[in-house]
Amino acid sequence: MKKGVFAGFFLAALLAAAVLRLTQLGARPMHHDEANQALKLGALLEHGEYRYDKNDHHGPSLYYLSLPFALAASGGALAGLSEAELRSVTAAFGIGTVLLLLLFLPLIGRGPVAASAILLALSPAMVYFSRFYIQETLLVFFLAGFLAFLWRYLHRPGWGWAAASGVFAGLMYATKETAAISFAAAAAALLLTFFIRRGQPDRPESAATGEHPRPDENRGEKSPRDQKKKEALGKSSGLPARLRWDHLLLALAAAAAVSFLLFSSFLKNSNGFKESILSFKVYFIRAGEAGFHVHPWFYYLQTLFLSRVKSGPLWSEALILVLALAGCVSAFRARPSSRPSARFGFFLAAFTILNTAAYSAIPYKTPWNALPFYLGFILLAGFGLDSALRACRVPFLRLLILLGLGIGLLHLGIQSFRACFRYPADPRNPHVYAQTSPDFLKLVKRIEEIASHQPEGRGLLIKVIAGPYEIWPLPWYLRAFSRVGYWTSAAEVGEIGRPPILITSAEEAVRLEDGLNTVYRSEYYELRPGVLLVLHVRDDIWEAAFAPED
Amino acid sequence: MKKVSFRLLLPALAAALLTARAAAPSQEPGKEELKLVLPKPMFIGTPRNISSPNLEKITGKPRGPFYVPAGTKLLSLHKPVTASDMQPVIGEVSYVTDGEKSGEDGYFVEFGPGKQYVQIDLKAAYELHAILIWHYHSQARVYRDVVVQVSEDKDFIAGVTTVFNNDHDNSSGLGAGRDKEYIETAEGRLIDPRGVRARYVRLWSNGNTSNDMNHYVEVEVYGTPAK
Repeated sequence: MKKGVFAGFFLAALLAAAVLRLTQLGARPMHHDEANQALKLGALLEHGEYRYDKNDHHGPSLYYLSLPFALAASGGALAGLSEAELRSVTAAFGIGTVLLLLLFLPLIGRGPVAASAILLALSPAMVYFSRFYIQETLLVFFLAGFLAFLWRYLHRPGWGWAAASGVFAGLMYATKETAAISFAAAAAALLLTFFIRRGQPDRPESAATGEHPRPDENRGEKSPRDQKKKEALGKSSGLPARLRWDHLLLALAAAAAVSFLLFSSFLKNSNGFKESILSFKVYFIRAGEAGFHVHPWFYYLQTLFLSRVKSGPLWSEALILVLALAGCVSAFRARPSSRPSARFGFFLAAFTILNTAAYSAIPYKTPWNALPFYLGFILLAGFGLDSALRACRVPFLRLLILLGLGIGLLHLGIQSFRACFRYPADPRNPHVYAQTSPDFLKLVKRIEEIASHQPEGRGLLIKVIAGPYEIWPLPWYLRAFSRVGYWTSAAEVGEIGRPPILITSAEEAVRLEDGLNTVYRSEYYELRPGVLLVLHVRDDIWEAAFAPED
Repeated sequence: MKKVSFRLLLPALAAALLTARAAAPSQEPGKEELKLVLPKPMFIGTPRNISSPNLEKITGKPRGPFYVPAGTKLLSLHKPVTASDMQPVIGEVSYVTDGEKSGEDGYFVEFGPGKQYVQIDLKAAYELHAILIWHYHSQARVYRDVVVQVSEDKDFIAGVTTVFNNDHDNSSGLGAGRDKEYIETAEGRLIDPRGVRARYVRLWSNGNTSNDMNHYVEVEVYGTPAK
């Protein structure tokens, strides 16, 4: 692929990624998890407080990396921050991941990078969760960087690549505990790559992969001198011989320093890093226990391949899965070579298979957990498409493949549009999981309306009595209200009194029914499908807001 | 220019401050605001994704016995039904009185978004003693602005009696009501029309907590012949 053509495709991918990820970011009500993260950010933003909690909330990178965005957008108050501004952080990392694919150019060449960039830009799963204020998109970004820097190091060892891979590894760890799964998969894939592909005679890359050399393919090789130097490195040793202990130590030190700084709240909480290690016990137990989120091993693959919820539309990212399979076959069938660039395909296939197997084997599954291994699929798909086009010598067949690809890409784009703008909170969208219902926003609107008729305004006392699974994202939406209290049950409150506004779960509403009936008007709102909240408004407060004026 | 702006700004600021003070609740001499320390929300992980119907606990209490005059009969079965939306999105208008009360797909009729009604013609005037409504009971949801009216006038212009109204803020424009909202369950919502004489029963709703559509699985009207 010529440079100009590549630049055109890559820019188109970036533009598509930006449009799909940044448009109408407020279209969906805040998810329970997003609101949790937002409030954590709020404490950091308003009071400079962050303390790692090993029992929940993953790593701190999301909060610290959001801080500059949040400060710029809100001036230091969580109430000044909108859902769209908050989600623009993860959306930016989603777009950034497409940009990071440029680092793979010397490893897989222009064609696969361009194809991967377009698939990453349009993948409904990747797009949908880039618009979600949770850790996953950051984890994918750092994983892409880590893999690229690791292999750039193996491609051309040096202090810079070693340090960069360490920093990105540290950021992965400081993002989410599941980074450990990708580290293990990467280590195992690296060992497999070395042991299976070791000792093979070096060959020109085109011969190694069964490809014919093309004059326009330089794959990042700058001069015959560089080529010789590289081949000499490859011939003289396998992968481990390329690793220098001082480089390895530097990478480890960089990873440890970055993650220590973040987990310790920039040295304010010395136990933070230790807690992060202890958290593995918590997550190990949670991953295996039968809870809300237990799904069969094929859950992720089935959802990505073909899914339909009730009478909703069909959803499929089969194009990416099929191309990834082609990429796998091509990588495993390629004749071995000791050159790192030729080995990358093998590594990528092994890494993706191991990572997918590990995530699938864990009973605890949520749709966004698929993203780290799905990045491997997308890179492999780029590889697979390039291999298919190269293997196909008949121009007409190549044209057919390209035509099919065009239709497939259009289909992916339409699905992304549908997922984000038509079905952003609709349970018929397979990526919608425990999502807050749009009806919930009517509850928020009602409270705002009532408060606007009171002299205290947002200083109105609001008591919330509902279990912890039934309050979120209320704290986010009531963040501008200064007097809101949360209790998990009526018994916990003691004397409820007669607050102007009381919000309860449906269960608590039944318990409190007799006491509330005479002085409160009650309305139901859907928090999530099948979960209702009840808004009780004291009669005088209701009258002030809604009684017709005489 | 700067001086002029500043001069204009000062009185504006002072006025704003005074207004803010005036708007605040009055404070009696010798008293101070009680600073309440309210509990913060508890952070917790991803909640359950409810994708199957009827997973939530039933929150309502079982309905007790309901007494009607001897000889009260079901009047609405297979009686003609009309609606504000005669082209339902799902199902048929006739489902409202077909006697099928299952919560599964294929047993409910779905009408368009916003305020909609269905109207049952009992074919003669009766004294009504019970109206039982099932909007949709496969999921815990609440229908908004449920208003039930009865009349002997098919156009509901004259002699209209409202027997149930939970439109608290009169958003449907039929008058504000004080009846309670309720969660749909398999046992339906029982309304007591207190023996009012009528031939037509009109049931309004205005979307629900899950979406803006209006649904009916079944409506039953019980009564005795008019005296």
